Amino acid sequence: MNRCTLTLLASAFAFTQLAAAQADHTWLLDNSALTYHMSHPIHEVDATSHATKGIGKCHEGACDFLLATPVKTFDSGDSNRDLHMIQTVRGAQFPMVTVRFHIPESATNSPTFDCDLEINFAGQTAHYHVPFHQEITGNAHHITGTIPANIIDFKIPAPSFLTVPIKNEIPVKVDTTWHQQ
Amino acid sequence: MPSSKHIPAIRSTTILAAMAFTLTLATQAQTNSLPDAPTPSTAGLASLSPQPDLTFFTADPLQQSTSQPPAQNPAPPSLSDLGLTPDQTKADPDAQARLDRRTHMLKIHQKLGLLTTIPIAAACISSAGATPDRNSYGNTTSRDVHVGIAGLAIGMYGATAYYAIRAPRIPDSGPARGGIKIHKYLIWIHAPGMILTPILGTMAFNDIAGGHKPGGIEQYHSAVALTTAIAYAGSIVAVSWPIHMPFTGSK
Repeated sequence: MNRCTLTLLASAFAFTQLAAAQADHTWLLDNSALTYHMSHPIHEVDATSHATKGIGKCHEGACDFLLATPVKTFDSGDSNRDLHMIQTVRGAQFPMVTVRFHIPESATNSPTFDCDLEINFAGQTAHYHVPFHQEITGNAHHITGTIPANIIDFKIPAPSFLTVPIKNEIPVKVDTTWHQQ
Repeated sequence: MPSSKHIPAIRSTTILAAMAFTLTLATQAQTNSLPDAPTPSTAGLASLSPQPDLTFFTADPLQQSTSQPPAQNPAPPSLSDLGLTPDQTKADPDAQARLDRRTHMLKIHQKLGLLTTIPIAAACISSAGATPDRNSYGNTTSRDVHVGIAGLAIGMYGATAYYAIRAPRIPDSGPARGGIKIHKYLIWIHAPGMILTPILGTMAFNDIAGGHKPGGIEQYHSAVALTTAIAYAGSIVAVSWPIHMPFTGSK
């Protein structure tokens, strides 16, 4: 009888442990604005996408995040320039920009935290170390930062105008709001 | 081995300890706060009930990771977790080829368009010497130079237009926005102008060659030509807009 009770309890504990493991936190992206900046001696262009989707899965004190943005959703206000951008970055061949990073779960409550981003764009993968700022209002976590991206990191040929190429730096401002599911 | 009268007491203690720990774990799993997971101590539980091996139930992450098979670790998020379908993420080589061809043709369009400004400007300048007011009706050299330059301008304009017209359209790209919209609107001015200008010029040329000043509609040749040239220049500026002025930081 005693052994039977212990077996039942052991099963209950095992189930609880399993449930606890499966009930790990999930973060969902509510809204976002990703803005890249392109510089040319006679052009300064900002293009923004609000179509980013993101998810974060936390398990055992660590979180894996994934963000994905369709390349064609970046809007500079000039449809001709945007189409040219899609062609230059081979946006039909590689339609998504994905960003992955891994942070300790404690960072999700910190006002600042650093991320090692793995960015897949234009068929190439590049890594950036980016500091982010976080403001927490209720369940909404507003996270901002700037990714110091370079076109050469993704082997993108620099577009030129009047034979002058654009600058190598294309910093991407990240403005996201997350909530914990 | 405990005696039989101690068994109910041990059983009750074990059940209580187990329930307390279950509640702790359940609370831990449901909490919405994000600090590091606390590590419950098993020392108290072990002292209450030394018989079952409670180290199996420890929540210590390091120990848990060694006791649980790796398969229980959740996989990192994937694109499917974001609700993206394979159609949204798959490569489209045909679309890329269409974009490449479009860009290639529009780059030629751009270069030819910029080069065409040279004969257009030259035609405008040479027109000053082509009027009968300054030349005798019999001297056609200045007019011939003007006609030659203007003919070159029209030919290059036609080639420029060809590369824009033949560039592949990109489906689902939506309506034109930004400077390209003005660029396209201005076509409705400079394209008819580029057709009308040489017609009126030919009529005017024939009038002058016939020994009289152009009259009728051909007298508007220079006005139409100037309007066309201004619209053409505006078209170039529009597609390049906004222009950032170097050294001043203004747009």
